[in-house]
Amino acid sequence: MTRQAFIARLREGLRGLPPQTVADIVADYDTHFADGSAAGRSEAEVAQALGDPDRLARELRAERTLNRWREERSPSSAAAAVFAVLGLGAIDILVLLPILMAVGGTLFGCFIAAIAVFFAGGVVFAAGPFADPPGGTAAALLAGLGLMSGAASLGALLSLVSIGLMNALVWYGRLHYRLLKPALEA
Amino acid sequence: MPEAIEIQLKKGALELCVLALLHQHDSYAYDIAARLADAIGMGEGTIYPLMRRLQSDGLVETYLVESSAGPPRKYYKLTEAGKRSFVSQQTAWTSFSGAVDEILGGAK
Repeated sequence: MTRQAFIARLREGLRGLPPQTVADIVADYDTHFADGSAAGRSEAEVAQALGDPDRLARELRAERTLNRWREERSPSSAAAAVFAVLGLGAIDILVLLPILMAVGGTLFGCFIAAIAVFFAGGVVFAAGPFADPPGGTAAALLAGLGLMSGAASLGALLSLVSIGLMNALVWYGRLHYRLLKPALEA
Repeated sequence: MPEAIEIQLKKGALELCVLALLHQHDSYAYDIAARLADAIGMGEGTIYPLMRRLQSDGLVETYLVESSAGPPRKYYKLTEAGKRSFVSQQTAWTSFSGAVDEILGGAK
């Protein structure tokens, strides 16, 4: 592969990243080719030693996405991190997907339940003074408040569990990067 | 899967080797790649994702040096956190590899 072809495929693989990041990465590999030819190696030799540009682009992208998850705990960055890890081929998607969906579904269900309990607590609290409930108005007010605060703490707990699970997944994905694969296959 | 184990071993060692080279003296990526590629049989291209990760983890930082031919060259140096990480990884590696060597020697 020529220097031009290698850089073109790398650029293609990095599409969608900020232009400045792409420029930095491309400059690194461009310098590598320049240094290689200064050391008397052909473009094809250098390209061969560098490895597959598509794979390198995937790993550089994944690295970036995982950093975004670390900096900003949002559902969108979590989803991006999950896909980046899967895209690396580090984890067998057929094994992982059912587990991910089951865990994700359970967490989602718990979140919905927490929200429902919160609103139910609100209704009990609001209706308490008018509905003449058993135990009197004060008990209804307290029960409503209790339900709401219980639901809020359940929600907070679920958030912590979700973040912990995501971190474990990212850790696992990192552990299984196949950075050295091209060299071993060559 | 012996291949997977080999990858994990080399990958773990790769980061330690990069830190060790930079601990001796500051260097640029081509030089690091050229010195490590033959020694531990890695793809030269893998050095760049690794350097970016080390940089984002705050273990290395870069500076530019004017070169006589061509554009300025990007040098990598260890940060204080990088030096600390190197020392602790070196200690862990030495005791681990020592223990493994001893067992392997006994198995002969």
